[in-house]
Amino acid sequence: MSFTVRRVGSTLVVDVDGQLIVGNRHELKEMMLEELAGGTRNFIVDFARTGYIDSSGLGVLVGLSKRVREVDGTLQLTSLSHDLMRLFELTKLDTLFTIRGSVEEALAD
Amino acid sequence: MSADSLRRTADGPGDLAFDLPNCIGVIEEAVDHAVECCARARIEQRRLLFNFRVGFTEAISNAMLFGNEGDPAKRVRVELEVEPGEVRARIADEGRGFDPDRVPDPRLPENLMRPDGRGIFLMRALMDEVHFNSAGNAVTLVLRADAGRADGVEDAEPPFDFTIPGLDPASPAARIVAATVARSAMLAHDAESNRAELGAALEANRRLREEMARGQESREMELAHDLQLKLLPPIPRIPGVEAAARVVPTASVGGDFYQVIQLSRGRVGIMIGDVSGHGFPAALIMALVMSAAEIYAEQGTAPATVMQYLDRAIGDELQSTEMYLSLCYCVLAPGRPEIAYTNAGHPSAFIIGSDGGARRLFATDPPMGIGETPYSESTVRWSPGEDLLLLFTDGLSDRLAGVRRSSGEEQILRTVAANRDRSPGEILDILFEMSREAVPSIPADDRTAVILRTA
Repeated sequence: MSFTVRRVGSTLVVDVDGQLIVGNRHELKEMMLEELAGGTRNFIVDFARTGYIDSSGLGVLVGLSKRVREVDGTLQLTSLSHDLMRLFELTKLDTLFTIRGSVEEALAD
Repeated sequence: MSADSLRRTADGPGDLAFDLPNCIGVIEEAVDHAVECCARARIEQRRLLFNFRVGFTEAISNAMLFGNEGDPAKRVRVELEVEPGEVRARIADEGRGFDPDRVPDPRLPENLMRPDGRGIFLMRALMDEVHFNSAGNAVTLVLRADAGRADGVEDAEPPFDFTIPGLDPASPAARIVAATVARSAMLAHDAESNRAELGAALEANRRLREEMARGQESREMELAHDLQLKLLPPIPRIPGVEAAARVVPTASVGGDFYQVIQLSRGRVGIMIGDVSGHGFPAALIMALVMSAAEIYAEQGTAPATVMQYLDRAIGDELQSTEMYLSLCYCVLAPGRPEIAYTNAGHPSAFIIGSDGGARRLFATDPPMGIGETPYSESTVRWSPGEDLLLLFTDGLSDRLAGVRRSSGEEQILRTVAANRDRSPGEILDILFEMSREAVPSIPADDRTAVILRTA
């Protein structure tokens, strides 16, 4: 798995390429916490290139959403495949996150 | 995974057992390795790639982090049993065990913000069966091909029967039937797929099975020929997309195919390909590519990623049959001013502009089965509402070579440009009428073309 990070205006867009699972979740967490410490407040995590996410990956996203909320920032998730969306629905995490169809859509909000 | 981390300790047919070091870094590779071994279970690829991978990942990480409490001196034992229609995985750790029933429901509001506690829930939600041993330090996961779907999909289609009396399951004919059935099964589970289309696919499968059952060696070519036409799907109706395709197969089946795939977020994928061989083996590769493309087109956003997935899915088959295929895959969306594409050794695709000028979409990679992965891709400008996208196989250009003393490609471009204001279907009619009249200068091959325009 690798991340590609780009900045659109004040928003940081993170593309997750591969799987977001127990073995690599910390990389995402550390990178985003560093950005948060550096003053970034708006985040989009894009899953267009993601195969699967496990419970640890979900856990990292939950943790990050809490931290982002604490500083009045936003965290949006985009481009979830049908299967990934089902994962969020099954765990009821779809109620916790702002989920958008695409990065463009999320940026337009 | 390094050789010492994955110690293969059983070699039964379809069975696999290995010990993993207690290190979360090896999980992804162990999971991928297990998925490869599951191929013969004939479980829907999408469920293997998603339900199985997630459930299996949960079980292993649970064993490492909670069972073995992260102790690097301990190991995790994995045993896999693969049978047609079923995969059974047992994951055991060296810990003291726990009571799975005491894990709180992660969906309760008070637990929703917790970063942990979803692993066992996901295993149970995604697999057909989950059993813990009484000590609580080993779990058995079962994923099945048919009934007992755990993911809440109701009105699942009845299981497909694709055994043919008297036909060797390993024969090319049986494998083609399996591939087409897999394709239909996937359509069946695609919530978007329209019922009529699904009915048609099932009916085609039923007829094909009957024909196969009656078929004899001498009819092989005829069947393969028939199969090629049956596999080629109708062009889906996609908002803002006007597309048409034609294929004229030769008597001996050249292995040409095309596919227009509706993707999420209004995008559309257009694929055209030409398998190097003829007859049944070519038709088999074709069936595999088309089935796999349906799955992977949605998983990889970038054309190069989709090609990579495809290569991984059929690479072994290509190698063992010593075949290769040229494949061009384009992704575009109505209203978007660009096309992303990967062209693996296929004749150039073209964009015909409103002024009649043609822009060439060069090959980006060697044909699949010859080159090395990864694939590259290119993005080109596209004028929605004005440009035409044109893809064809060499059977068509070869056939038209020499007409009016120009190359076949020139002839195609000139004809499409001259008729660019017509609908894609009309342009293809004109093109194929011309190719029908042309006197072939070399042995005939399949002739295929796809034309598309977006709003």
